[in-house]
Amino acid sequence: MAPTPPTDAELDIMIRARLATLGIDLDQLPPGTAADPATGSPGRDSVLASLRSFVRGSVTALAAYRLPAPAGSDPAHAAALSQQPAPMLYPSISTEWRK
Amino acid sequence: MTAVDRRAFLARTAAVAAAAATGAATLPAVAAWAGGPARFGPGAYVRPRREALADPTELTLAEAAWMIREGKLSPAELVEAYLARIGTFEPVYQAFNTVLADAARAAAKAAGRKRHTGPLHGIPLAIKDNYWTKGVRTTANSYLFQDFVPPSDATAVARLKANGAIVLGKTQMGPLATTRATTPGGRITTVNAWTPTIPGTDPGGSSTGTATSVAGRMATAGTGTQTGGSITAPANAQNLTGLKPTMGRVSLAGIIPLSYTRDHPGPLARDARDAAIMLTAMAGADPADPRTQGLPRVPDLVEAATPVYSRGKVRARWSTRVGVLPGYATGTSAAALAQQAFLATVDAVEGVRLVDVPLPDEWDLLTGTAFNNVRLPERSEPFMPYLRTDLRGFGVSVTGWLQGALLGANEFITGQRAKLLLLERVLDQIFDHCDVVVQTGPVPFDILGLPEIGFPIGFTSAGVPIGTILGGEPYGEDRLLSVVAAYQAVTDWHWRRPVNPPAAGPAALRSATGDRGRLSAEDVVAQME
Repeated sequence: MAPTPPTDAELDIMIRARLATLGIDLDQLPPGTAADPATGSPGRDSVLASLRSFVRGSVTALAAYRLPAPAGSDPAHAAALSQQPAPMLYPSISTEWRK
Repeated sequence: MTAVDRRAFLARTAAVAAAAATGAATLPAVAAWAGGPARFGPGAYVRPRREALADPTELTLAEAAWMIREGKLSPAELVEAYLARIGTFEPVYQAFNTVLADAARAAAKAAGRKRHTGPLHGIPLAIKDNYWTKGVRTTANSYLFQDFVPPSDATAVARLKANGAIVLGKTQMGPLATTRATTPGGRITTVNAWTPTIPGTDPGGSSTGTATSVAGRMATAGTGTQTGGSITAPANAQNLTGLKPTMGRVSLAGIIPLSYTRDHPGPLARDARDAAIMLTAMAGADPADPRTQGLPRVPDLVEAATPVYSRGKVRARWSTRVGVLPGYATGTSAAALAQQAFLATVDAVEGVRLVDVPLPDEWDLLTGTAFNNVRLPERSEPFMPYLRTDLRGFGVSVTGWLQGALLGANEFITGQRAKLLLLERVLDQIFDHCDVVVQTGPVPFDILGLPEIGFPIGFTSAGVPIGTILGGEPYGEDRLLSVVAAYQAVTDWHWRRPVNPPAAGPAALRSATGDRGRLSAEDVVAQME
């Protein structure tokens, strides 16, 4: 059974905790939603809203993606076969050493 | 690994070992690139058009190169002509962060005394302000780098200078290369040279200042970087030819990173031939950047960008199939009509054939927002010291860096696996059927590190340039240049120049340089490169 999607409050805790783990304190930004007039830095509530949207959108979409198995594969083996494609940081460069 | 690269690798490894043994905390600096000029054929020099002779700033790079080689124009005269335009119009255009007038004059004077080095000898260039320039502030339009004075030139800058080029100034850009040029706090600075009194017209970003300086005839050509359209977009917006080469073709050593796997240095120029001259100088292996190693040699790009004629008519240098993706040139907008005319024109060139090609499987998904966002940890990781201590120093650009810090390693790996899948599909489903392909946006080929060229194909009824983008196979810059050169030989869009801004009397100047608007952090997220 799929887990219950996190609430805004749960996501805020996760986001702050993750950033704090890395040593980033979101409270460096101005409180509330108003931007810092001098630097244009967004208010921390605005940033949290944007980051929640990012987690629900990009993180969730990427996490849900499974690389395809070759066409015609036995569906029972799809998960195992989809493990095979390797990651490639620089795909265009890799064409040179795959010739 | 070549012999020289292996030596560099071993020397560095030995130094690291020695540093570890002695407890030293820092690595030795990577030596600055120290090669010589590139080789150019006769095609890099073009006798100027009659109408360009009255004003040196009207000359293309190849025309200026011919004039200098023939002794009809001195580097000092060329530099002074550009400085005069900068003095008159820069308050309106706001294309530069730094104008190096005294250094450019000195370099031009020295160039007048030196042996001729090639087509870039004495040519004044605009350099985007994320390329390191030795002893000259390099800000990336960010509070974080406002006092950064690099210890050496970026390799690409060093190569251009070794070819005789003169750095005229450092250009405005989107803060940390994220959007159109603004201050770090989001206030709009650089305008589109075609609509200098309308700041709302998109000038293209993030290599905005370079584009405006070249379009506004304040530099002969310039450099940009592209992570998400930042060369092709300003080229299209300002009637220029911008070439984003294949990843690794130009060294990234000494360029402030935005996304390691996606940053591509390249030229913004007045036509395909000028872009070819610039890229020839910038390209090549660099011991300081492993991404440049083991790649195909740089072909004769200037020859590729030289039109070929048969019985007085332009023909393709190489028989070329131009792939047309679904959705390109459909509709009745000004851009669609210009794209239709472009396709008809290029199809009429002997040796060019249009072919319909499909969008590869899962195209929208694998090139869409989520998969595009896998680049973001590449920007947060190298900026961790700044993120910990100075979030406001990121100004309006901060959100993308925080997003990067949130993306998990699992998702990042999924994105890297999907990139290879996407490349295989592009090669199999597009390039099995064509040699170059029109682009409906720059991002897919930025994800893959494939080359793209942006060039002009018309204007709106309001006089704003319309451009388009062609994409190529890995290291296929020569093919892209050949197609654009043929197209530019039968069209005149690239010869058109914007009129000068209104005479800059005190009142007009105040109105033109006043508040131009401000981007918010939310705007930056929406437009982020």
